[in-house]
Amino acid sequence: MTLIFSVAIGVLFGSGAFLLLKPDLFRIVVGLVLIANAANLALMASGLGRGRAPIHPLEGERVSDPLVQAMTITALVIGLAVTALLLSLAYRVYASSRTVDLDELSHAEARHEAELEREDLSF
Amino acid sequence: MLVASLGVSWIAAVVLALVDGRRRAVAWAAVAALGAAFVLLAVLTGLVAEGGDREQVAGGWPAGVGITLRADPLGTIFALTSSGVLLAALAYEVIAGVRSRMFPALVLFLATGLTGLFLTADVFSFYVFFELSMIAAYVLSTYGDEPRQLAAGFIFAVVNLLGSFLFLLGIAAIYHVTGTLGMDAVAERIANVEPSAAILIAVVIFVAFGVKLGLFPFHFWLPTVYTSATPGVAAMLSGAVANIGSYGILRFGAGILPNELELGAVVLIILGTASIVYGALQATSRRTAREVLAYSAIGQAGYVLIAVGVGGAVGYAAAVVYAVVNSLNKTLLFLSVEVRGWLVGAAFAVGAFSVAGVPPAAGFFGKVELFRAGIDADSAALVLLIFLGGALSFVYMFQIYQRDFWRGARSGEASPAALRAVPVAIAVLVVGLGLWPEPLLAAGRQAADLLLEASR
Repeated sequence: MTLIFSVAIGVLFGSGAFLLLKPDLFRIVVGLVLIANAANLALMASGLGRGRAPIHPLEGERVSDPLVQAMTITALVIGLAVTALLLSLAYRVYASSRTVDLDELSHAEARHEAELEREDLSF
Repeated sequence: MLVASLGVSWIAAVVLALVDGRRRAVAWAAVAALGAAFVLLAVLTGLVAEGGDREQVAGGWPAGVGITLRADPLGTIFALTSSGVLLAALAYEVIAGVRSRMFPALVLFLATGLTGLFLTADVFSFYVFFELSMIAAYVLSTYGDEPRQLAAGFIFAVVNLLGSFLFLLGIAAIYHVTGTLGMDAVAERIANVEPSAAILIAVVIFVAFGVKLGLFPFHFWLPTVYTSATPGVAAMLSGAVANIGSYGILRFGAGILPNELELGAVVLIILGTASIVYGALQATSRRTAREVLAYSAIGQAGYVLIAVGVGGAVGYAAAVVYAVVNSLNKTLLFLSVEVRGWLVGAAFAVGAFSVAGVPPAAGFFGKVELFRAGIDADSAALVLLIFLGGALSFVYMFQIYQRDFWRGARSGEASPAALRAVPVAIAVLVVGLGLWPEPLLAAGRQAADLLLEASR
């Protein structure tokens, strides 16, 4: 069980990291979502134990760890909010610059800096 | 008291999120709520300094089961500083005119998140408050809606979210090896954990906080964000949000993982040195005030790291004092960047003196504490580095002063009196702390004692 979890976490984190390196805003968002879920899975895996749900445990019965599930649901909700925020940010970048390509965005930034230099020299 | 200081800004944030923040009455209500939270935190800081820690367990559970809020000297001094910075920056932006309906509520959410994370004694609720404040910070960094700000805000969010998820992985690992989330219990049990696991946890958490603080190898997001944000938001990010990094390294490094911190002290000192040298050199070569301040922020973070690396009572006290003084300096300087008038020029000069460590500004005592840490570590190289860093910061601060106030980039009509009052008020505070530094130094010592006690 531990092996399956670690392989799954590794694959999720790896593919997320790979997508993060792409120069495309939406691929970056998807990459972060994958990494967030790798972290969530790691949270679940940190308290992996067999047993019944601890709602109304009977004497002598094994229960699973409820704390990791509480933590994971909190982390999931935060992840959802963050994804929504990132997508809306990416959309606003697209609406204002008409591109989702990071290279083009950084060219615009470089042009801005060149303008600053010119203004400065004119003093 | 503890709950009230957190609750005021929280409730006000939720209520104000429903109304239009561009209306003056709403914006000033937000300033009033933040002011009330600041006063409550000041009282709480006084109570903690006099009568020891205060604890509150949520939901009436016994301690160790319920989630604990705890006010101790280290947490309260950071909470007080951050909420003061946010108050000044919000007042500045409100006077300048709020341009977005959510702005005042977002600042209050940021204040809630910061107060919560400085006053919690639970590793996971630290993460929750941390995300609350960071999400508010991501949205705030795009305040103004210019294309440049949006792109910078996106990068800021992506890099810092990666840091947050690394931190979450660190928490999962802590829970796995210790089986608890209370900071005290973790600190107790981590000593018996296999060293390889503990070191891995320490590295992951250090990287997460290094990203927040903008340390040298993790700094690449910082200049674009600080230069494109409005002055008030830049002051919030550098004066309040960056405190998460310093506090986190102190609390998690010195308080929870002291053995691993000792092991990595050399790495911390090397990274701190790299930050100072890189930040100072880049700042000297930049031309606009905001760029200089952004790179200066990278350099200043290095001093805190060096002080933590030196460690011991002197080192931790120096780290706390320097972090507080640096927040005030950065707030003062960023808020005076776009304001005109000779009084603001004087306030800017006070900030410049404070960054360079010239008396009577508060920065002098920050530098004195650092020198003590360097002498305590018995290292001539460190003392020389701190002196050199101070000299370079003197050079780059006065380059800006010369360009902006002497050569006329900022001469001409003075700004409205209310706008000028904010930086001048902080300048008065900085000079006041420089003339009467005892409360700050005492708070630093108390926080250092607390950390040393926890690690014993």
